[in-house]
Amino acid sequence: MSGSDSTPTGVISSSADRMVGMEHSEVRYFTSYDHHGIHEEMLKDDVRTRSYRDSIYQNRHIFKDKVVLDVGCGTGILSMFAARAGAKHVIGVDMSSIVEKAKEIVAVNGLSEKVTLLQGKMEEVQLPYPHVDIIISEWMGYFLLYESMLDTVLYARDTYLAPGGKIFPDKATMYVAAIEDGEYKDDKIGFWDNVWGFDYSPMKEIALTEPLVDTVEVKALVTDPCPIITFDLNTVTTADLAFKVPYEVTAKRSDFVHALIAWFDIEFSACHKPITFSTGPHARYTHWKQTVFYLRDVLTIEAGEKVSGYLENRPNDKNKRDLDITIDYKFEVMDENRFAEGSCFYRM
Amino acid sequence: MADSSRAGDPSAGDVPVDTRSVSEESDSSNEEGWEDVEPDEESQPVMSLFSEQVFPDVRSMLKDSKENYDFDLLKIQKDLGLDFLDTIKLVNYVRSQVKAGNKYPDVSSKSKFEDDAYLKPVLEDDALLYSLDDIAEDAQDAAPGSEAERKVIELQEELERLQSQFSEYRIAVQKSLEDQLSKEDETLGLNGTTSSEEIAANRASEIDADYFASYAYNGIHESMLKDTIRTDAYRDFVYENKHVFKDKVVLDVGCGTGILSMFCAKAGAKKVISVDNSNIIDRAREIVYDNGLGDVITCIRGKIEEVELPVDQVDIIISEWMGYGLLFEAMFDSVIYARDRYLAPNGLMVPSHATLRIAPYADPDFIASHISFWENVYGFKMNSMLLKIYDEAVVRGIHPNTIVGDSTVFLPLPLHTITVEELTFLKNFQVTLKEDIDALDGWAIWFDIFFMPSRDSDVPEDAIPSDMQKKGYVAFTTGPDGTETHWQQVVALIDYDKKKPCPLKKGDVIKGTIGYRKRSKESRGLDINIQWEGENTKGNQKWGLQ
Repeated sequence: MSGSDSTPTGVISSSADRMVGMEHSEVRYFTSYDHHGIHEEMLKDDVRTRSYRDSIYQNRHIFKDKVVLDVGCGTGILSMFAARAGAKHVIGVDMSSIVEKAKEIVAVNGLSEKVTLLQGKMEEVQLPYPHVDIIISEWMGYFLLYESMLDTVLYARDTYLAPGGKIFPDKATMYVAAIEDGEYKDDKIGFWDNVWGFDYSPMKEIALTEPLVDTVEVKALVTDPCPIITFDLNTVTTADLAFKVPYEVTAKRSDFVHALIAWFDIEFSACHKPITFSTGPHARYTHWKQTVFYLRDVLTIEAGEKVSGYLENRPNDKNKRDLDITIDYKFEVMDENRFAEGSCFYRM
Repeated sequence: MADSSRAGDPSAGDVPVDTRSVSEESDSSNEEGWEDVEPDEESQPVMSLFSEQVFPDVRSMLKDSKENYDFDLLKIQKDLGLDFLDTIKLVNYVRSQVKAGNKYPDVSSKSKFEDDAYLKPVLEDDALLYSLDDIAEDAQDAAPGSEAERKVIELQEELERLQSQFSEYRIAVQKSLEDQLSKEDETLGLNGTTSSEEIAANRASEIDADYFASYAYNGIHESMLKDTIRTDAYRDFVYENKHVFKDKVVLDVGCGTGILSMFCAKAGAKKVISVDNSNIIDRAREIVYDNGLGDVITCIRGKIEEVELPVDQVDIIISEWMGYGLLFEAMFDSVIYARDRYLAPNGLMVPSHATLRIAPYADPDFIASHISFWENVYGFKMNSMLLKIYDEAVVRGIHPNTIVGDSTVFLPLPLHTITVEELTFLKNFQVTLKEDIDALDGWAIWFDIFFMPSRDSDVPEDAIPSDMQKKGYVAFTTGPDGTETHWQQVVALIDYDKKKPCPLKKGDVIKGTIGYRKRSKESRGLDINIQWEGENTKGNQKWGLQ
């Protein structure tokens, strides 16, 4: 539903609100819940919440007496972690009306003195401090960048972060790998070939351009993963979020390839002892799952053979919140019956 | 997000779409199991049409059928003038009838087995189906093989014709789309190519633009089409009542991808007018054309209250208008409008009846995992998140064992006569608990849908879909006892406001009233009010559904 309303860039909303509209089939569930369900889902995402908690609680010496800014604070959980870790003051900012609830939650937990929550856009709210020592934010979207708040975090960094200040987390790396997914591809894409006896192929074209956010089993991986890009939040700029990068993946076994998948790892390198978590298929479930890009070809690959190409990502010119993704692939083998190359376009 | 290929993105054009879809089509027809199988030269064991007996070849089996079951396939084929596909249907029809216990299936007319459903083989690898060409040769000794050859040539010609039609059509669609877009650009004062999404976004001033936009996504259509309970019911009703649809003018309100319209067209409707206010109408138009039904079905984009139909009156209105809790989204108002404006005096509404049901709900596990959760989140109290939980009714699939008393109908909706005013109501209900419970956690609401073939047919107010099915009618339930549908059930949780709820006993009677009210004229949201009183329970609470 959020796909058609236009929100200016630089808007902050908790990632819960950003997620609404993602799983179209669930849209009405979440709206009927008034976004409740998504906050619950995110808080229950133990990998996510525990990583933030550990990176804050295990680094009390870093947080002690510091001024902390929580960008997109949602229910206020990260702000409260920082306050409990000894921060002098935490300012949480969120666009969404969830701030009202968050204020109540902060009060019930006796942290109102330490935590100030503001509802509004980052560019418009008045912070009580000219500079902050630490920025914390859970800004990541599906495919890391879909409806992500990263540009807002960068705005906050450039505007408020004191020299030498720290960002939690501060590194994100994206990966791709190839998977065998015949059965599900048939279910999602082949479905349109015969719908109650009718040919629905026009819908198939749309289905092929929509990346699918879903849980991929580790046994579906045909190749090793390939890191494609790392963002260092201390230095990255908004312009860097449009990129075209090469990839090359090598098959671990002989199998078919139906899709490429992408995921990301997150690192809190400002910690005394760096803390990381992964949203890959080999790691524990997170609500980010993985993003599946179906190829038009089915590749017949043998162990040791490589698929290579480029992944290009850029915000859509007309609707900045959409991503235009192009995946070029080349499967170069001597056997001309198996040789394949192509270019697929996706929009999410 | 969904419409990039239609918006004419250049990179999508790099891909050899047509080649690929043709090859996939032939793949899928292989899976059908009969079409592309080479006629077997060798004789193959084949199972009798009427018993489990296996014969060494088709000829001896047919001889046995003729002698012992008075069934002469070749004669029937000749008498009824059956072509290859008709004969396949005949075989499957007979096999399915025999399987169902009818040893003497009625084959007096072709109409008995004209349903395309009979194209699907009843037996896996049915040798009889593979050998139909051979027995046809036997029958027409004069010109062996000519029938099959003619068929191949015919099919080739048809394929070529369709291919050229399709490419013309692609060009036409692209052209008209470009025209349309450039026109819209002009009116919006924009230059260059504007995606249709953006045009839609620019129009978002309309309050319900979001609603129509959300329906343009694939995901929703996929989940609705894959909801077999829903789609099967419409299909079964239409295909089992072809006489009702034959030569009729049908209006499909909110047609989506056009599936119901195509069912009606296949069932023999003279004309089907399909109206939808979402971008999906462009897809529907293409799908209709791809399925060769473009002559019968006319797709029109717009609100039913505003569009101009090519006819003054229709014989049948078909619509899948049901929302969560039946009336969420208020699309039913548009269906009623269409009925009053277009339906002929003796016209038929499909479906014809709906009932809304309520039942007492107790689900300690859900309460523990979703309510108690907020009492301690990583060491913090978040109880204030709970306030909203009681303000909004939740759409969930609930387990039958959470329904702790028999459900009762609180509103029957006869679709031929109900008015918009009657959709805002306050009704009495009474339920009796069928087990002891620690607490009444809330109320569950769902609906049942009935398809009657005539507007005079009666449906009892407390009709149960499975009973109606036994009587041969098409009906389905969205309740917890049925197979899950995408509507699931609506759950309204009771807020005890920190007071501990009382345990209730089996046999306790709870009486109450339930009201539905639309949020406002513009909104598709709904307010539900329930007031109830029983031995140890009493309350009055309002929930939103939005």
